[in-house]
Amino acid sequence: MPVVKALTGNESAAHGAALARPDLIAAYPITPQSSVVENLAQMLADGKLSCEMVEVESEHSAMSVIQGAALAGARTFTATSAQGLALMYEPYFRMSTLRLPMVMAVAGREMTSPETIWGGQQDTVSLREAGWIQFYVEDNQEILDTVIQGYKVAEHQGVLLPVNVCYDGFFLSHLTEGVEIPDQEQVDSFLPQYRPQHVILDPQRPMAVDPMTPGNLLMKYRRNHLEAMQTALRVIDEIDADFYRVFGRRYGGTIEEYRLEGADAVLVTIGSMTGAAREVVDLLRDQGKKVGLVKVRVLRPFPLKRIVRALRSAKAIGVVDRSVSFGWNSGALFQEVLAALGSQGMVMPAVSFIGGLGGADISNDHMLKALTTVLEVSANQAAEQETVWLD
Amino acid sequence: MNLQEVFYGAEDLISPGLSACPGCAGELTMRTVMKIMGKNTILGVPPGCMAGAGVVGWNRLSGAKVPITIPLLDNTASMLAGIRRYYQSQGRNDVRVVAFAGDGATADAGFQALSGAAERGENIIYICYDNEGYMNTGFQRSGTSSKGSNTSTTPVGAMRKGKAQHKKDLPLLLAMHNAAYVATVSPAYVQDFVRKIEKAKEVTCGLAYIHVLSPCPTGWWFDPKDTIKLARLAVQTNFFPLYEYEDGRFYQTVSVKQAKPVQEFVSRLGKFKHLDQEAIADLQQWTDRRANLLQRLCAESPA
Repeated sequence: MPVVKALTGNESAAHGAALARPDLIAAYPITPQSSVVENLAQMLADGKLSCEMVEVESEHSAMSVIQGAALAGARTFTATSAQGLALMYEPYFRMSTLRLPMVMAVAGREMTSPETIWGGQQDTVSLREAGWIQFYVEDNQEILDTVIQGYKVAEHQGVLLPVNVCYDGFFLSHLTEGVEIPDQEQVDSFLPQYRPQHVILDPQRPMAVDPMTPGNLLMKYRRNHLEAMQTALRVIDEIDADFYRVFGRRYGGTIEEYRLEGADAVLVTIGSMTGAAREVVDLLRDQGKKVGLVKVRVLRPFPLKRIVRALRSAKAIGVVDRSVSFGWNSGALFQEVLAALGSQGMVMPAVSFIGGLGGADISNDHMLKALTTVLEVSANQAAEQETVWLD
Repeated sequence: MNLQEVFYGAEDLISPGLSACPGCAGELTMRTVMKIMGKNTILGVPPGCMAGAGVVGWNRLSGAKVPITIPLLDNTASMLAGIRRYYQSQGRNDVRVVAFAGDGATADAGFQALSGAAERGENIIYICYDNEGYMNTGFQRSGTSSKGSNTSTTPVGAMRKGKAQHKKDLPLLLAMHNAAYVATVSPAYVQDFVRKIEKAKEVTCGLAYIHVLSPCPTGWWFDPKDTIKLARLAVQTNFFPLYEYEDGRFYQTVSVKQAKPVQEFVSRLGKFKHLDQEAIADLQQWTDRRANLLQRLCAESPA
């Protein structure tokens, strides 16, 4: 029987990873991620988990040990944050371009400098062009469930890509919530054992992995990778629906639409801030205001079609970023939503909001300010707006 | 040991036609090592001369008859540790995992990963072919370049006379990590070489580290026919002593009764041709000091 326990976000990630029966875990401690791996190490010490655990000397080696094991055929897991992710970058990029499936939990943290250890999404958002699938989740139950979904997506034969499950550092990593832990048997039936088909380092099937590759062939690899990303959009939605049939929970696949019926003003959110946005939408709906919400659950691949469809009837939108895009006076998600709309010839007033950097709160008041601003813009169809800082 | 018995019928597991330079000691060492390791081996060759020569392959072709990959310059030990851990967990302990890495990938960029793997006792066989620089990319200075070396990043001019620092001593560093087995080998001492590779092959617990001084005609600037001669001179001058370390003890495996002056080795190499007597005396002093240290370490062990 599934049990409900009070779990932190990091404990939820650890339980999700353990239920996926990884062959090998390699990780290096960093705030706010550390307790993910501490929990897994304790499960191992208690005999509740059976796998290889490699306590490496850096995140660079964590990713490298995993890469070697994955090339030998292992299902692998790691977790990190911010500077650790930055240190991993070299083998990180290679994991996706070698088309090696895995799941990495990221307790999102602001990038230094100024020196900081607190929450933010700058670490993973900055890596959105490294070829990984990136989920951004809203609460602890979704962390656990998405780790399990993530393996199924990553190992899908039409996808074969590594997956990041990103959740806001401290806001979720250290927040305790009631989380339902599924049965191992249920998870086993949902997530069969991984069998590598496309690449392997094994004397029984000798092959050269990654010989020098000329540009014309490399372009074919890139093109296949891009196509796999597009396939993943469909696969993520399908697997979310499959997950619902087995476990009774679903998250909308790549995006979740919330109270969009007849909405003039729509807010687009990502990550744990979505909770505050939901409350404010409910509040304004109670006052008869036509407002709604789109939660972007998957940033890579970018769910262009579903976002465009969800925003089609809006008169104005606002996008709230928990990171910045240097060089644009806005966040990255804002630019990507505009690009998606523009690619379909849709032009509408749009406001960029930035908040919650370096562990700052995005409160209900902030969300109220944001949604009220978008409502005003939708009413008078105002011209271009400056980015609004939720500070 | 009868070398004929070791090599008779042993298959060359490296493709013919690698584009290594004439007289390359690295290629010779790699082919010999792989004849001893055999087919049940996974080989990791990071960026460097051997990868550049094509052993990992080109286009869709492989350069080896065993599974092979190219780790990053800086993660060879950790990547191979991951491969080995997985095979151990699957009960396939017979699958050997071997690194064949240059000194840049070992002493410099890759040292952290190697240090971590040695400390954790990862059961991989790590072979460093030390040609004292980044030869594949035009002889840039590395941590193992000898003092005074005329490299492309420590060139000789009116004001500067090559590399200003002595060589980093990797095998001693690995011994201090308590690696399961550490040995220096030379392509000029084949019996000693083969015995040590076979020993490394049998290590089932912990990391085996082999350091080979690999004379490089292109970078060191000498006639390719002299590769083995220079490898031998490096040993006979005590510039590169042959020893091994296991169970906390050091053993000198090739004793040099009357060491030749380092000058005999140095004077044959174009990379040192600018050295004056003072610089050569400095190299001699460094060589003596290290030989002395090694002697004292070995004195604690039975002969």
